Amino acid sequence: MLELYEGLRQRISGGERAGISYEIDQFGLDPEYLERAGGLLDFLYDRWWRVRAVGVSDIPEDEPVLFVANRSGVLPYDGLMIAHAVAREHPTHRRPRFLIADWLATLPFWQPLLTRIGGVRACQENAERLLASGEWVVAFPEGQKGALKRYHDRYRLQRFGRGGFVSLAVRRRAVVVPVAVVGGEEVHPVLYLPPLAPHLLGVPLTITPTFPLLGPLGLIPLPSQWRIRFGEPIRFDDVASERADDPLYVNRTRERVRNTIQDLLDSEVRKRRSVWTD
Amino acid sequence: MSSGELPKRLAITGLGTFVGGRVAERLLEREPEIEVIALGLHLPHRLEGRVRLHRVDLTEPAADSVLAEILEKERCDALLHAAFRQTPTRDVEGSHELELIGSLHVMNATAAASGMRKLVVASSAQVYGAYPDNPNFLCEDHRLRAHPDSHSMRDRAEMEGLLWLFAERHPQLVVTSLRPCWVAGPTFDDRVVRHFSGRTVTTLLGYDPLMQFLHEEDLLRAVELALRRDAPGPLNLAGDGALPLSTLLRLAGKRSLPLPHPLLYRIDFLNSLRRTGDAPQAFYDYLRFLWVVDTSRARDLLGFQPEYTTKEAWMSFVVSRRLRRYR
Repeated sequence: MLELYEGLRQRISGGERAGISYEIDQFGLDPEYLERAGGLLDFLYDRWWRVRAVGVSDIPEDEPVLFVANRSGVLPYDGLMIAHAVAREHPTHRRPRFLIADWLATLPFWQPLLTRIGGVRACQENAERLLASGEWVVAFPEGQKGALKRYHDRYRLQRFGRGGFVSLAVRRRAVVVPVAVVGGEEVHPVLYLPPLAPHLLGVPLTITPTFPLLGPLGLIPLPSQWRIRFGEPIRFDDVASERADDPLYVNRTRERVRNTIQDLLDSEVRKRRSVWTD
Repeated sequence: MSSGELPKRLAITGLGTFVGGRVAERLLEREPEIEVIALGLHLPHRLEGRVRLHRVDLTEPAADSVLAEILEKERCDALLHAAFRQTPTRDVEGSHELELIGSLHVMNATAAASGMRKLVVASSAQVYGAYPDNPNFLCEDHRLRAHPDSHSMRDRAEMEGLLWLFAERHPQLVVTSLRPCWVAGPTFDDRVVRHFSGRTVTTLLGYDPLMQFLHEEDLLRAVELALRRDAPGPLNLAGDGALPLSTLLRLAGKRSLPLPHPLLYRIDFLNSLRRTGDAPQAFYDYLRFLWVVDTSRARDLLGFQPEYTTKEAWMSFVVSRRLRRYR
């Protein structure tokens, strides 16, 4: 009986997994866990989505960097892949931390997993503290609106939040690197969003071609071909730090970054021949 | 930073609590000049004959003037207010009277007595509440959103609100509140520690928040520092480093029993209400969501550096319980 319980419990909580380290960084990243997950991440990166990262060499080496990217594909695969691309292909091999929406940051089972591989709940305080402690950060100013947009709106940037990322970059003298992720929209193409689901379930339920039709199998992301394009870094060195609180400046800069990413997206989408192959 | 000077005649409320009693003992052992004046209903045995007890019931309607009179007569220059229940009981009304109204009386008496210059209050980091939208580190200026189901933390947050109004009105006083995270150590005992004492610990299925612990000795040291040095305002206290709950349990060799929270909150409802006066989420939400605090203010203003990390504090608790089992 006891063995049965133990077995079940291990199945459920994974508590006795080897390779959970006792040293964990202040935001919950677990290096040992990450190393174990590395194989899966490599598989997703190389085989499943065949990610092509372009422009990694433009990313500065020893400055604080704030990556600003388009959000797509419901679950935070895009953040994971951007972080993985930088960690693998950039000469510093630094792994940026990616910010995740509230509902994912507390979603049962996902929360411990995402925290351990470097996800941090998206909020101004967290981003600021991460940059201050020398981490690179991936932010998605569109937030939920980007993640849950319908398939026919793919690669059309939504409103870019309230420009918090601009104030942050100005205040912390961080370099903003615009990032365009192409391919993420196709991993879970959202056909329909039942409007009542967030109220009834507490989480947004998305109807995709495979989910909930195929049950849990529908949670497998579709193997689209990905391109991650890192744009020209934008510097705020010569901007007075008071501008961080100037709403007109923040708004203008936000729109400028948004247009830059939209242009990158458009050109990358045009470049690919089909959703599934390069 | 200078080591600061301890108050000469220190009044303490809540000698029966861990903070009140142990700080009194600690000071009496180490500082021969200090005189401790106890305010409350009774004294723990270990302190009998070493401190002067003035019998005051903090819940009495006129407790404030009685307290003011005592503070005046004893020429006290500082007060440590620790009369808070360590563990919530179902006596919701009683703890409201003691913890909120009693604190109000203590504040008013402190302001009325002429020689007083310092008030240190033993609060808790739980006043921030555990919420899905908490930032990863809570600073002292974060809104206090004590869990709406927890009567003691609701009262504590309201008390802190009143305390800062009070501090504003009385700039001649140094008012400090200490907000420790959960405390662990060989002797400390409260609801939290009891929850973690068994071989099997109930956790919430699918959740694994980062947790902090403060060693009991560090808590006492922080209180002593707050009495020595002037650090007005709230101060978070926690051991360095935060660890996921699952890692803590694994370190301790404890089994976890993960239950889905809707189920746990239903099956434990009556039992929790009977024992603590609160619905189960008043406690379990702290095992579900993040409420890690930033401790830089205590380090900068108080010069407080915990000697035990979260992991060491936790292990000192675990090891002491293990020994106790074999005894």
